[in-house]
Amino acid sequence: MTTKTAELDKARDEQPTPGHSAPRWTRPLRLVLSERVALLSVLLVVVVVWFWYLGQNDYLVAPYDADYLASALETMVPLCLLGLAEFIVIVSGRGGIDLSVGSIVSLAGMAFGFMVGQWGWPVFPALVLTVLVGAILGAVNGALIAYLGFPALIATLATYYAYGSLALVSNDNAPISTKPVQDLHSLTRAIDLPVVPDLPAQVLTFLVPCVLVVWLVVNRTTYGRRLYAIGTNDVAARFANINVRQSRFRAYVASGLLSGVVAVVTVAQFASARPDAGTVGNGMALPAITIAVLGGVAISGGLGRVAGVVIAALLIVWLNAGILLAFEGSDGSQFQLFALGAVLVLSALLNAITLRRRGGVPG
Amino acid sequence: MTGLVQAVPLRRRRPVARAVEGQELALVVVVALLWLALSLGTDTFLTGSNLRNIVFGVAAIAIIGVGMTPVIVTAGIDVSVGSMVAVVMVVVAKLIRDAGTPAPLAILVAVALGLALGSLNGLLVSLGGIHPIIVTFGTLNVFRFVALRVFDSKQVTGVPDTLAWFGGGEAGRGLLGVPHAGWLAIVLAALMWCYMRYWATGRHWYAIGNDANAARLAGINVRRRTIAAYSLTGLLVGLAACVLIGSGGLVQQNAGAGLELQVIAAVVIGGTSILGGRGTVLGTLLGALLVGTLTSAITLLGWRSELTELFIGLFILVAVGVDLVRERRRRTR
Repeated sequence: MTTKTAELDKARDEQPTPGHSAPRWTRPLRLVLSERVALLSVLLVVVVVWFWYLGQNDYLVAPYDADYLASALETMVPLCLLGLAEFIVIVSGRGGIDLSVGSIVSLAGMAFGFMVGQWGWPVFPALVLTVLVGAILGAVNGALIAYLGFPALIATLATYYAYGSLALVSNDNAPISTKPVQDLHSLTRAIDLPVVPDLPAQVLTFLVPCVLVVWLVVNRTTYGRRLYAIGTNDVAARFANINVRQSRFRAYVASGLLSGVVAVVTVAQFASARPDAGTVGNGMALPAITIAVLGGVAISGGLGRVAGVVIAALLIVWLNAGILLAFEGSDGSQFQLFALGAVLVLSALLNAITLRRRGGVPG
Repeated sequence: MTGLVQAVPLRRRRPVARAVEGQELALVVVVALLWLALSLGTDTFLTGSNLRNIVFGVAAIAIIGVGMTPVIVTAGIDVSVGSMVAVVMVVVAKLIRDAGTPAPLAILVAVALGLALGSLNGLLVSLGGIHPIIVTFGTLNVFRFVALRVFDSKQVTGVPDTLAWFGGGEAGRGLLGVPHAGWLAIVLAALMWCYMRYWATGRHWYAIGNDANAARLAGINVRRRTIAAYSLTGLLVGLAACVLIGSGGLVQQNAGAGLELQVIAAVVIGGTSILGGRGTVLGTLLGALLVGTLTSAITLLGWRSELTELFIGLFILVAVGVDLVRERRRRTR
């Protein structure tokens, strides 16, 4: 134990204080190694500059320019929104995680498809109801976890199966792509903007407002403070007169809500409500959790920032976009898997090492 | 992960009650009732070929579950097993098709490769100090990448039936008509059950799951035991891959996708606590059997096959719910 204490003391002594000690140049390095947002920002710049350089020298099959980067943001919308959903539930603590987001996207998307495509409802009320459906599905998770005490991993594994199965059964395993659903594609057309390159519409209409709302709720409301409090230590939070169960319940409702938004975007983007939209292949939950963790959300709860998640999503999206140009055929999509896995493990490893040296909280 | 220690029952009870306690007994009853209802309700359930199909269908899940149980008992998790299966399957399938590798060598390669991949997970979890779910989410992607590179954008067709002993066909039928794969799962589970119950190093897994710090202070080599659990899972994944290649034919690029969740479902239905420190391999075996019975039942009753997953979900909730109630009662007693 003495060595550990000595190490801690040493680490504290090494903390640069203004005025004296530690060479000035180590400070940015220290910041980059310990602050996830700083690390990700540096990586983001490196990735973009590197691919831009490769593009300038004709190593890529198409130019890696601003227009391409802007259109790549299309894939960022579901990734980032679900990453934020995972961020909220993971921060809420006690092993918080939501494996069911992909299935909620499928099921809420099918509901949206039925409302617009089969029953001919106007788009806007259907959209609101879809988000509501997502929230209700999330509320089931929340009730199981917060009020009945199920471990989050288990409850959402069960609802992942249940919701996914219901989505498949709802329309006999067939997609809904009638005329009204196809018309939804206009929700995701590229918008002409002055100065900046054309952005996909859903970035401005869905992603940016949602990110802002999540940021406001997490950082500027008492609920946000409660969320971090129950994630850090829910016994202490209960003693501080916080309604732990209700706060945790709402985190899962929020996750379902965001999944509902993703359902709308996904249906519009593919011009079709597919029953396996969120569960095909590895599903949407795994990349979303990966993004959240990459963004510096501690899996043990109570730690994490919205900015980290957004930058992590941006990093992965632009990295993937670059990889797609660097290889011919389907090789690119394979290397995307590798990049995602390697970046995740390496950043977690880096975090663990820096935190251990600084005697901080385990991530 | 759990704050307070939840003691492993030490009280002496009657041997039978000790051998099948709690969840396992309930599971046996549930499976028995299901079988009874199905054999009365349908003509085709209680036939040799159907029962063989059920057993063969869950053999791979059960075999991996035998490894997954100690991983979850140590309060860990391994979500990369599906991708691991894909890597082993494609490598072994290509070996026996292109190089004509004989069965013993193919099995050796499968087991060694699985062991290597599992050890990588174990090393990252124990030495890297990263949460297991993050490590295995990462390696899930990396292993899938490796598998796809070996696939080389084509599925492997025309795999010879070198490993037919493991397969679901005529050659894979063993004692009492039960497929060899099923016997393999049963034997492995029995060995593991004894090991986790009677060997000191097996008990260490429970200690680690209850409180890793206390276990370390009690002189348990937590790192080595953790690595052992993940490596073992890898090794068993190698065997499961042999079962899945079995009678040969086709290995698709999406091999093993989603398998991790089925394995975790079987383990959890079997009464292993996801928070660590509690659970047995016997339960996992029964959990896998229940999942297989459900799948078969829904087909036989002519229901939509997509409903299977709904029922798996409900069973997970019921199994864990019952466990929660028992836990609460135990605490208040």
